[in-house]
Amino acid sequence: MTPLITLDRIGKQYGANTALHDVNFSIYPGEFVALVGMSGGGKSTILRLIAGLEAASAGNLSYAGGQAPVTRVMFQNDRLLPWMTAIQNVSFHARDADTQSRAKQTLAAVGLAAFANQYPNQLSGGQKQRLALARALMAQPELLLLDEPLGALDALTRRNMQDFIRQIVAEQHLTTLLITHDVEEAARMADRIIVIKNGSNVYEATGAKDGTAAQVATVAQDVLQVILQPSGQAV
Amino acid sequence: MENATVLPQSKQQPHQLNWHRLLPWLIPVALVGAWQFAVSAGWLDQQLIPSPLAVVQDGVALWQTGELPKNIAISLFRATVGFAIGGSIGFVLGLLNGLSKVARGLTDTTIQMLRNIPHLSLIPLVIIMLGIGESAKISLVSVGVMFPIYINTYSGIRNIDPELLEMGRTYGLTRRQLFSKIVFPGALPTILVGVRYALGVMWTTLIVAETISSNSGIGYMASNAQEFMDMATVLLCIVIYALLGKLSDIIAKTLESLCLDWQTKGGARA
Repeated sequence: MTPLITLDRIGKQYGANTALHDVNFSIYPGEFVALVGMSGGGKSTILRLIAGLEAASAGNLSYAGGQAPVTRVMFQNDRLLPWMTAIQNVSFHARDADTQSRAKQTLAAVGLAAFANQYPNQLSGGQKQRLALARALMAQPELLLLDEPLGALDALTRRNMQDFIRQIVAEQHLTTLLITHDVEEAARMADRIIVIKNGSNVYEATGAKDGTAAQVATVAQDVLQVILQPSGQAV
Repeated sequence: MENATVLPQSKQQPHQLNWHRLLPWLIPVALVGAWQFAVSAGWLDQQLIPSPLAVVQDGVALWQTGELPKNIAISLFRATVGFAIGGSIGFVLGLLNGLSKVARGLTDTTIQMLRNIPHLSLIPLVIIMLGIGESAKISLVSVGVMFPIYINTYSGIRNIDPELLEMGRTYGLTRRQLFSKIVFPGALPTILVGVRYALGVMWTTLIVAETISSNSGIGYMASNAQEFMDMATVLLCIVIYALLGKLSDIIAKTLESLCLDWQTKGGARA
């Protein structure tokens, strides 16, 4: 299968600081990949490069068919426009003729049909994140980028949202890249987990998204060990 | 996933609503009542401080002669035209400097220097250059309202959350769409604060301008009445300014409630 996107020896410098070096991995169509690692390890920089928000300093980012896929980002803070209603937030970027009906369908898909005319400050934290997800889905992305989207939620809402995102991604056959520092979240949601450490990918593991709680815990434990292993030791 | 419902908003009882509507008027009514009582009881000299009733009677008499409506109309005209001109210039400059680095580099330093000149200190210059006609007073009002609107438009645009702009760019918005969907709505609350402040400056400037150099308007009426020790008319003019100020406040609040209703909605949080 041809990868949707391939990162080949990607590097990123901020002045004298090296944020990324020699990052190599591919994401295949329909795959759910999670990037995990400690804060400051370079996960979000990789997402920003893939989203086109920044340019790589070294290496090559290549795409299937030579053209960048339609990419949408769901950020950690919802970044909803407070002056727009839920339906306006979902549809403000769309330009097609059936925007309104698609927006309603998308809101319904994330369980917010009854809140179409509410403003973001009338919604709970979980509802806001679902709305942010709806906005991303509305753009019919070929690649959905999730930048620690559940980091600000309480444990219960976070767990519900993990299941919900997994369900939506499966239903719509979306290729997804999740950035998270929560190894259990990665193990529960992803097909494949890539550990980013000190600006480079150092380890890959298979996720346990359809596994039991014990399998999720085992995968998470393995990944955590790699993350916590002192630098310089063989993985 | 429909795991939340809209809660019904708590309904206010009718008597609570009325009470809250009356509350802002409690202090003005009490002050007028105390004033009337003090004059009636002889605690205040009626020649120096006429009673509220005498002020109202004076207002009715001036209205009937046509003098009061004529002077209110001319003051309102000067205020409105001056606000429209100064507000438009301040808004456009604020937009330009908020959005364009080149425009900011070119004009912001000059504007900041001019802003720090008290605009009322320009009265002698304006009288010499423009006389005491309409253009002098309208110019002064324009200069007075221009800076609050400039500053608030500029800072509203400059302080837009960069994360929202980044979000807009990732969703492929054009520069025009970024402005209409993110920059302008995001700056609007700050711009409206500027409008509200400018409305106050508008009246202050007009009062001073009409008092010093005019032959019509409410300020002129007050200074003319002072010449004849007509305290009822002087007080009437002050009351009219207070009422016009309140009217400006109502306009500003109405604008805010129309444009910023999203800020006040939040009671139906599920």
